[in-house]
Amino acid sequence: MSAELALSPRRPLLLRRFAGVSPVIVVAGTVLALIVLAALLAPLIAPYDPNAVDLMSPYEGSSPAHWLGTDASGRDILSRLLYGARISLAGPALVIACSMTAGVLLALVAAWCGGKVDAVISRLIEVLFAFPGLILAVVAVAVFGAGFWAPVVALSIAYVPMVARILRSVALRERNLPYVAALQIQGVPAPRIAVRHLLPNLMPMITVQAGIGFAYAMLDLAAISYLGLGLQPPTADWGVMVAEGQSSIIEGYPQESLYAAGAVLVTVVCLNLVSGWVAERYDVRGAEL
Amino acid sequence: MNTPRNHEPPPLRSSSPRFRGHPEMTTLDIQDLRVAVPVRWGSKTILDGVSLTIAPGEALGLVGESGSGKTTSLRAVVGLLPRGATRSGTIHVNGTDIGTLSKAELRRFRGTQTAVVFQDPRAHINPLRSVGDFLLENLVEVQRKPRAEAERTVRGLLVDVGITDPERRMRQKPYELSGGLLQRVMIAAAMAAEPSLLLADEPTTALDVTTQEEVMAILDEQRKARGLAMLFVSHDLDLADAVCDRIAVMKDGRIVEELGAEGLRQQASHDYTKALIAARPRLQVSVPSGRPYDEKPAAAPLLEVAELRKVYRVRPATGTGHEDLVAVDSISFGLPRAGSLAIVGESGSGKSTTARMIVGLAQPTSGRIVVDGDEWQPGRLSSAERRRRGRLVQMVFQDPYSSLDRRQSAQDCLREALAVHGHLPKKQRDQRVAELLDQVGLTAEQGRALPRSLSGGQRQRVAIARALAADPSVLILDEAVSALDVSVQAQVLELLDRIRRELDVALLFISHDLPVVQQISDDVLVMHRGEVVESGAVNDVLSAPREDYTRRLIDSVPREGWQPRRRRTTPAAPDPVEVP
Amino acid sequence: MPARWPLFVLRKVGALVVTLLVSSLTIFLALHLAPGDPATAIAGGTKPNPENLARIRAEYNLDDPWWSQYLHWLHGIVTGDLGTSMVYKTDVSTLLTARVGSTALLVLYAGALILVFGIGLGVLAGLRGRVTRTVINVVTTVAMGAPTFVVAIALIAIFATTLDWLPIYGTGEGLTDRLAHLTLPAIALSLSYVAYVATVTRAAVDEEKVSEHVETAVSRGTPQRLITRRHVMRNAVAPILTVSGLSIAGLFAGTAVAEQAFGVNGIGSLLVDASAKGDLAVVQVISLFMVAAFVVVNAVIDAVNALLDPRTALEGAAA
Repeated sequence: MSAELALSPRRPLLLRRFAGVSPVIVVAGTVLALIVLAALLAPLIAPYDPNAVDLMSPYEGSSPAHWLGTDASGRDILSRLLYGARISLAGPALVIACSMTAGVLLALVAAWCGGKVDAVISRLIEVLFAFPGLILAVVAVAVFGAGFWAPVVALSIAYVPMVARILRSVALRERNLPYVAALQIQGVPAPRIAVRHLLPNLMPMITVQAGIGFAYAMLDLAAISYLGLGLQPPTADWGVMVAEGQSSIIEGYPQESLYAAGAVLVTVVCLNLVSGWVAERYDVRGAEL
Repeated sequence: MNTPRNHEPPPLRSSSPRFRGHPEMTTLDIQDLRVAVPVRWGSKTILDGVSLTIAPGEALGLVGESGSGKTTSLRAVVGLLPRGATRSGTIHVNGTDIGTLSKAELRRFRGTQTAVVFQDPRAHINPLRSVGDFLLENLVEVQRKPRAEAERTVRGLLVDVGITDPERRMRQKPYELSGGLLQRVMIAAAMAAEPSLLLADEPTTALDVTTQEEVMAILDEQRKARGLAMLFVSHDLDLADAVCDRIAVMKDGRIVEELGAEGLRQQASHDYTKALIAARPRLQVSVPSGRPYDEKPAAAPLLEVAELRKVYRVRPATGTGHEDLVAVDSISFGLPRAGSLAIVGESGSGKSTTARMIVGLAQPTSGRIVVDGDEWQPGRLSSAERRRRGRLVQMVFQDPYSSLDRRQSAQDCLREALAVHGHLPKKQRDQRVAELLDQVGLTAEQGRALPRSLSGGQRQRVAIARALAADPSVLILDEAVSALDVSVQAQVLELLDRIRRELDVALLFISHDLPVVQQISDDVLVMHRGEVVESGAVNDVLSAPREDYTRRLIDSVPREGWQPRRRRTTPAAPDPVEVP
Repeated sequence: MPARWPLFVLRKVGALVVTLLVSSLTIFLALHLAPGDPATAIAGGTKPNPENLARIRAEYNLDDPWWSQYLHWLHGIVTGDLGTSMVYKTDVSTLLTARVGSTALLVLYAGALILVFGIGLGVLAGLRGRVTRTVINVVTTVAMGAPTFVVAIALIAIFATTLDWLPIYGTGEGLTDRLAHLTLPAIALSLSYVAYVATVTRAAVDEEKVSEHVETAVSRGTPQRLITRRHVMRNAVAPILTVSGLSIAGLFAGTAVAEQAFGVNGIGSLLVDASAKGDLAVVQVISLFMVAAFVVVNAVIDAVNALLDPRTALEGAAA
């Protein structure tokens, strides 16, 4: 089948790569790019200092001066959202960088060595898997105190088994393909086979997992901030903003909580959509964490 | 079961004008069938005007290489076309145009008029339901037979297809049965529906050759006993020839030629058919080598294997602890410089394990491997040691699709292989890559292509070039041509023979396919359940086998004038054992 | 019952016990190594006198080596003596028994929602026409990105301002009132899991629909309802069961957020509170309890799956 498909007319690379992509994915990708851009450029584009308190104008609605209104202390919600994007994205990025690195390493080592090494790693993964990320984070906070680092470190550890479990099985399948055996017979050193052949072929799966994992990490970190165990007020962070604004909802001013919750929701949905598209494009299956 | 063929009505030709417009006189009448499936850019034609007819009780063999559209033709009859496929043309079964049937009528039609025997019974039988449930479903749910009566019928059918303990088998789950037994179950299920048309889609392709003969014999016998018409799809011309009244040869979605099964080779007039017949090596069983029996080659062999043994520890099917599974049991052989030795056996014979032990992909439990006078020590190999051995022995694998890194072009693959065995200046290296590509008959443009845009045969050529990059003295070919179409297979075999002659490379050919082995090898080693049954010059072993198993193996190869026969009254079918 | 099943379950139970022991050790050590002197924390006040401290150390065996303390703690857990809260100044077991009912009810409620709506929507999307499928796809895609606290905020915003059908705060008295109080928390807690289970269910149904054995059933004229029931749904059960189990097991940890958001007085909110206040004894017990719940639910699902598909038990043996 693939041999025949290869005969289909060739299109210019870029066009071929993005032709037929559903508009939903294009929109989701653009929104993600804009969010990242907003985080990077927050100091330049934010209209106000995110922590500038103006007790004279609390709970203002949308206006040309404050596009998204102000919170209970009169701080500009838009500016806080823009600045909040920075730390709200940085946390998950750190978590994913750490857990993916460790997960990929464990998976490759387990798949390559097999036997006892694989058995030990698999057992370790299984035990770690029993700790839901949120619980590990709560324990970490109890030990080290609330803040940015305790939950990030805890989640970095908690996500390793989810990543490694799936990657291990995929890496194992890849490792048992004859081309790897052929490279072994040639005498190509194992690390080189792993880095030059296994890793690139696992990249689609790793990308999809990183995307989905980022979304999960964002949700978990925001939830921890919301619980008051992560970042503390007055830091501009989406999770903190949701928690801070919650008491105002009853008083009829839901904007701060809703906008912050909306920011989390939109980011996560877009990430999931794009990850799903990558998965379909590269025929990656079973990447769900 | 050597009932003479052609006791049915004389062959009918679809081109015969007598039957145009009288579809009620035929069991199957396909006219101008066209099928296209959507692909990323537009649509692709799979069937391009196929017309064929099958008279009651007649068997038509539809033969062709992969992608010829033979399976699609069969599936179109029961409406199992790929999602989104478009269809035109008519299909009449017993006079009914199936295109005009309502959904309910179509269901009824499938349940009573036709029955399909698929290629892979393990995938095509629901793994979670018992064998009995599978067999009874049609009788109870479609034919509305009382359950007790249906069970009686099914038990009888199972005995008919050579299953001696129907009660136990019916209670078992499909995973507890071997592939050959499952295919018998599938045949019994097809018979249960009492159809008038049997559709068999490569029913024995996944089976070992001796099992193939059993299953084909049963299929043939049951079909004739019931007087069923059959559409038999196969890539194996000789096999189709043995069980069909007529043969239709397909290529690129068209039937290029229709032939009566008798004297197929003489009748063939179309170039493609002739090429197809010529490409397939013919088993010759009466040409002794003329070499004295048990003659030892004068020089010490290049590759010598002595008392090689591999034992796997497996968990037995019941209870705990370990059980030893002897995959290879103390085998010894020698391969002379530039010689050609084949190891022949069915699945589970240990032939691939032997190959893997020689190249260090599996650890021998005991025994010696001596190459070029140097004994290879077992144990974990360093990369340097692997490189040293790699310059002596290389291997080509069966599956051309997964033998290459899909992200690497052919020339990058060769460059990497060259780089491993010593640094060459860029210019020299590129020259060597071009030389290797040329040696295996690939163009420079094909060398720049990624594996996905190469055909199976081309990929296998890249794999051979990669093995040659190390300039080895021995090339191990583990079923290296088994996955290829016959015409491609013939070309690759020719290439291998040339490599042997021109580069003085000795070939160790691992295969299940006797005709191919006869063509490519001088000597043969027959393996069965881990042991060497018989060895010697290929032609001697084939013309005068000394062991029953070898004879059985030779007899089950389809060839001109061959008829499948049932040999065992009780099928000795061990429960499948998982080999790591 | 397949012959291998009891053996499979036995091995699962063994693995379960090992996992629980390792988990308990991890949790104990993590909190044991926490900075700060527990004796000072228990004594309270800024400058406890040394005699008092010594008495506390003796009472809580704080001078024993860590493994002795661990065994002591583990023995306590097994026999029902869960230790004493340093912050709330009562037995941990007293704290838990007062709250475990609400949390259990919340998990049951949310679990029921996941099973009914998750599997239901997934099956609908898998078996019905394109419109149903698209609508469910859109809804689940959005819902999957909606974590408990976001849904909670939205629900509070709606039910605090425009609708007042359901209470948005507190635990309630009596079963009906409690269920009413737990409705919004259960929805908030289960929504993303419902979406997840629905997606996996749909995928599993889709995969079975085009499987080869279904082709066989079609080619034999099997009625559609039987194909759907016996060959599609029956064979899709394993992945559906697995993710449903994982989701329900994950609910225990999620109760922390749901209870906090809606002011439900349960174990989850107690865990958050204890963690914020550094009440290690309480955090130890609750986190161990939640890990245990997660592991046990998963093991039960594995066992059921092996019963439904004996090949699973066989695979486990080959490893």
